Amino acid sequence: MERRNFIRLATIGTGMCLIPPALYFVAPGVKEYACVILKRELYYLKLEPKGVVSFVDDYFKATGNDLLSNLKWKGLFYLKSGWDKSDRVRDLLKYYLLSSDFFINKTDESKTVNYLGLFNSYKSPMPNPYSFILYPPSDIKEV
Amino acid sequence: MKFSHYDLVVVGTGFASTFFLKKYLSKVGRKKKVLVLEKGHFYPHEERLKSERGESSSYKKYASPWQDNIKNLNKKKVWQFTTAYGGSSNCWWGCTPRFMPNDFKMKSMYGIEQDWPVSYEDLDPYYYEAEELMSVSGPENTPFPRTGKYPLPPHQFSLVDKILHKKYGNKYVSQATARASRGIATRNGCMALSTCHTCPVNAKFTIENGNMGVYDNDQVELLYGCQVFALETANDVIKKVLFQKDGKDYEVSGEVVVLGSNPFFNSNILLNSGDNNPLTGRGIGEQLGMQVQIYLDDMQNVGGSSWVNANGYMLYDGIHRKDYAACLIEVNNAPYYIRVERGKHLNVASFRMIFEDLPLNSNFVKNSADKLVPEVHFEERSNYALKGIENMKKKLPSILSCLPVEKIIYQDTEPNEGHIIGGTRMSADRTNGVVDKHMIHHQYRNLFVLGAGAFTTFGPSNPTLTLSALSLFAADKVF
Repeated sequence: MERRNFIRLATIGTGMCLIPPALYFVAPGVKEYACVILKRELYYLKLEPKGVVSFVDDYFKATGNDLLSNLKWKGLFYLKSGWDKSDRVRDLLKYYLLSSDFFINKTDESKTVNYLGLFNSYKSPMPNPYSFILYPPSDIKEV
Repeated sequence: MKFSHYDLVVVGTGFASTFFLKKYLSKVGRKKKVLVLEKGHFYPHEERLKSERGESSSYKKYASPWQDNIKNLNKKKVWQFTTAYGGSSNCWWGCTPRFMPNDFKMKSMYGIEQDWPVSYEDLDPYYYEAEELMSVSGPENTPFPRTGKYPLPPHQFSLVDKILHKKYGNKYVSQATARASRGIATRNGCMALSTCHTCPVNAKFTIENGNMGVYDNDQVELLYGCQVFALETANDVIKKVLFQKDGKDYEVSGEVVVLGSNPFFNSNILLNSGDNNPLTGRGIGEQLGMQVQIYLDDMQNVGGSSWVNANGYMLYDGIHRKDYAACLIEVNNAPYYIRVERGKHLNVASFRMIFEDLPLNSNFVKNSADKLVPEVHFEERSNYALKGIENMKKKLPSILSCLPVEKIIYQDTEPNEGHIIGGTRMSADRTNGVVDKHMIHHQYRNLFVLGAGAFTTFGPSNPTLTLSALSLFAADKVF
């Protein structure tokens, strides 16, 4: 672990009982942290900005947004935790990508990624990203 | 109730009862009267969709979570089932592979448990019939003996499927499934949306959309909200069926009685009725599942056309079953297993490894102080199943050597497979089981006890097609 990260981790880890109230009141809202994390992790994509905010709103509505959750998200922000260290970040990224036109555009990084509505097979227009809807049989090369 | 006596009284409206009735009605005269007692209510698919979308539905009051219906003493164990018209056809995922022939002869082939009193060959014509009734989609070459085409063509292979099929032939095939690969009169084609419990496009077979002509037959009277809790017996003959509706007890007499509710309730009814067979309620269980993700380097696993796109039989049958469990591979198109690394989002194959287990008598159903609610005591998995997992972990890397595997991630074992099996096992004689080959109770000869409760052993394949074929077989042979 890099020293800088270690210090951040130690600060958050040991300070969880002392720092959180300060973090909670001083730092920007938890949704902003999530937006920043999303943009940071998906730096290689052009994310439509309003869609990112809308997604994060919907995501937190669906997954809860209590005090404990806020603190954990802030922790992730200050730790600069990426998807490889945090299941929360991984879930956030997965849901964003599934809820966007990223897979409809065949994971084309050159195209702007638009939010289409929270991924839900009963409501969302987003098909299963693996499926024949996006990759018809003619696209699957014979082996 | 229109009458106080019926030629046939049936408990439950799930697969077991419905397929039995389908055959029964085709064989008996028009004068026979049938009463069907369903514990739940009719909760239409369209209304279930509204609930899934978060919309209001006046039918929501009929949702009956499984946890409210049994006393489950092992909180780590989950048992999924639906109490409603059509039973668990409402929540099943539509997987319909046949059993392998050796699944029926585990004792004679491998020295494990007991042989079934029926064989694959006995069931073969009824497998075809059940597959027709469910309009199953499947491939032409299967690992189990079967000739000709399935009613519907197979689902599309993904790239990983194509590679594995090329290497393993009929040991890796498109899954036989009741998720329609094409639209038919009462169902749409599967869209691989992977929420099959309530199919968003009504592609999977259910009793509701099955168009089987059973419950709209004018010989059949169907009553909802009737909780059967016991049978009245005299001289080893079932005389009456006792049930509760709206808090009040009722009874009805039947010439022949069929228990077609799930294994928990079939066992509970028998135990409440004084059935003293030491195996009644014993050996309850199901297969053991484990999800495995296979991360692929530079290969997108795309193009599949259903939730379980393929089945792998490379770890299924063979001499190893003397020592450890067979494993069926289910190959999933699961959207939530996408990767988040740049450029590798779809470079993953998701396998569900399903291991057979043994009907251990330490896992059992017991009746409780509440006659309507069975107690489920599930203590343990067999070493046989657990050794199967260890073997799978040793063999899987080599099996997948034809793929560009980056890494394999083994998840924890799953708390349920949605398959409740055992409790009224089938046997050639009454010392080894509860029902005979026609699923007639060894002691009460006018009583059928249907469903997966009658399975003698728990092969790794999904049970629904086989229990449906058994119902057709029993009704055909007896009436």
